[in-house]
Amino acid sequence: MTTIARADQWSRCHRAARTDGVSAALTELATAVLPGLLPCGPAGHAIVPTGIAAGAARVWADGVTVDRGAGVEKALGVVELPGGDVELLRHQVEPGANGFSPAERACWTLGLVWLRLGLSEELRETAMRYLNGRRTGNSTLLQQQMVKSTVADGLIEHLEVRAVLTGIGPGELPDTVLNHLHAQLTEADRALVKLLGASGYLAGGPGQVARVSELLAEAYCRPEV
Amino acid sequence: MIQLDDRLLALRGQVREWGADFRALGLALDRDPELIREHFDLPAVRYLSTMGIPPEYGNVPIPIAGNRFYGTLALERAIIMEELSCADVGMLVASPGPLLAGVLIDLLADEQQKDWFYGRMLESPLWTFFALTEPDRGSDAGALSTTVVPATADRPALLSGAKRYVGNAARAQLGVVFARTSPGPLGINAVLVENPSTGFHAEALETIGLRGARISAITMEDVEIAPERFLGRHLSPSRRGMWAFVQTFNLLRPGVAAIALGIARAAHEYVITHRTSLRRDERDRLDLLARRIDGARRLVHLAAAAVDARTGDGYLASAAKVRAAQLAHDATQEACTFFGAGARLEHPVLDKLVRDARGMEFIEGTSNMQKLNLFQGLFTGKLDRDDPFRTAPLAVV
Ligand SMILES: Cc1cc2nc3c(=O)[nH]c(=O)nc-3n(C[C@H](O)[C@H](O)[C@H](O)COP(=O)(O)OP(=O)(O)OC[C@H]3O[C@@H](n4cnc5c(N)ncnc54)[C@H](O)[C@@H]3O)c2cc1C
Repeated sequence: MTTIARADQWSRCHRAARTDGVSAALTELATAVLPGLLPCGPAGHAIVPTGIAAGAARVWADGVTVDRGAGVEKALGVVELPGGDVELLRHQVEPGANGFSPAERACWTLGLVWLRLGLSEELRETAMRYLNGRRTGNSTLLQQQMVKSTVADGLIEHLEVRAVLTGIGPGELPDTVLNHLHAQLTEADRALVKLLGASGYLAGGPGQVARVSELLAEAYCRPEV
Repeated sequence: MIQLDDRLLALRGQVREWGADFRALGLALDRDPELIREHFDLPAVRYLSTMGIPPEYGNVPIPIAGNRFYGTLALERAIIMEELSCADVGMLVASPGPLLAGVLIDLLADEQQKDWFYGRMLESPLWTFFALTEPDRGSDAGALSTTVVPATADRPALLSGAKRYVGNAARAQLGVVFARTSPGPLGINAVLVENPSTGFHAEALETIGLRGARISAITMEDVEIAPERFLGRHLSPSRRGMWAFVQTFNLLRPGVAAIALGIARAAHEYVITHRTSLRRDERDRLDLLARRIDGARRLVHLAAAAVDARTGDGYLASAAKVRAAQLAHDATQEACTFFGAGARLEHPVLDKLVRDARGMEFIEGTSNMQKLNLFQGLFTGKLDRDDPFRTAPLAVV
């Protein structure tokens, strides 16, 4: 297995998240970092596009690679999203598997933050388009000061996360920092989704993307104890 | 300390008991919101199906500790809503009954309209709807554009336009639609509409959470409205339209806050039930959550008592709704952190609580709109700065 960590890998994944959605960005990241593998988090959970769920012969369990047939797998559901559905599953890897590869894990975990940043930035753009198209009195919702403040708060989170990520290679940020970046993105998403009004509460739309983005962090981050 | 009296404590105890059925069915209903049709015989569903109908129209709810609770008071509703939402909010919002529309009827309808509406509700469990939000107008509801063209000598009044995100509309048999007869705030009217009606179409929208609410998109094209279906036709225009939905929302808002509170409590209880031993820091976090839930509950109850005393006093209710919606959000998110990696994938109930909590931001006005209302109350002096609970008669011991 070769994993080549190149700066443009993150930018491709980040861009795919912004322009093409969760499924395309996950495919981009998984193909670059964990080709042919089913990426699973520390408790065995996977959130992957249908193609990866169907095509992976081996499982990557938070750094350890095993045969897919070796563990018990359970489908947990499918979420419909713009740009392609994702499947939720859990693959129970027998304890004691060895061959932990820190390099792959470092690439995957860093890429995931870039991916979620891209999704969150796109959510901000979607919210701005929505708000600009809605009126109150003789102005748009986007021009309401409370709304501008929320957009700016989201932007500040994005800028800080990006500032921390910029120029950073795989493995250079410890899990605690990565977890913090994920928490920042989750907070930004939650505030931005509110700006979409009830349209952000519909299945299959941008609110669902934000929910899946949050689930990605939950599935793949190692919780702090 | 502010306390509920024995009557209300008995109500709470009984509804909490009824809630066990709701909790057992919550996940199944989330998968299939139509499942509620098989459970009309549950005591809580039966109670909700007539909640809010005054006794003089023939409502005889089952007695609780020797009292009958008609659900006509915001404080009673807040207590009932918190308990049932804590059990399962999906079952609560899926249940048939007069709820939102009923409060408007109580406020606005003439005797004949009340007889008709309540009479139908007492015959069999029916869903009702309350259609205000439009595809292009949500928070700015006063600018709604659905029209009701007045009757002429040769045809009845005609209702046309679109509504969106309206709870239970697709399966409701009757409801109210806000529409305008002319521009400006005095041109808004509420009309009673039956489903099916020619030209009326409602379709459920798939949502992330609160799936039991079956929020729907409605289109109306020349739906005929008989003169007796104009609510408050005996009142002046200033008491019919916008005034009516503002008052209705004031009365309902403490109940919405209580629903959010119930979700927060459910998250807290889930952690207590499913984590047998807690580290010190975890216990502290959970205690803090309990204190926040308790504080929010006091505010909700006072807000309810305030609108019961004076319908116009909805400012405390705005404060309570913002606080409780945020709490539901925070509590459900916090609960996930007690269950390790992939908590929501492993605990469907927790996942559902998070999804349900998100919807509380929007029901009955977003946090921004509530904050603007609260500020207005403070700025205009309508919210008493020195004694904000002056009009909220709750027992203080
Ligand atoms: C589960 C559920 C049930 C519902 N049930 C019903 C129902 O039964 N009947 C019904 O009529 N409607 C119902 N609604 C709709 C609900 O009332 C609206 O979603 C709500 O009023 C917000 O409107 P909107 O979604 O169009 O958001 P918008 O009005 O488009 O708001 C978008 C964002 O802009 C902000 N905003 C808007 N105006 C301002 C301003 N002036 N200043 C600052 N910020 C502003 C909002 O806070 C929000 O964050 C329901 C919604 C949900 C989710």
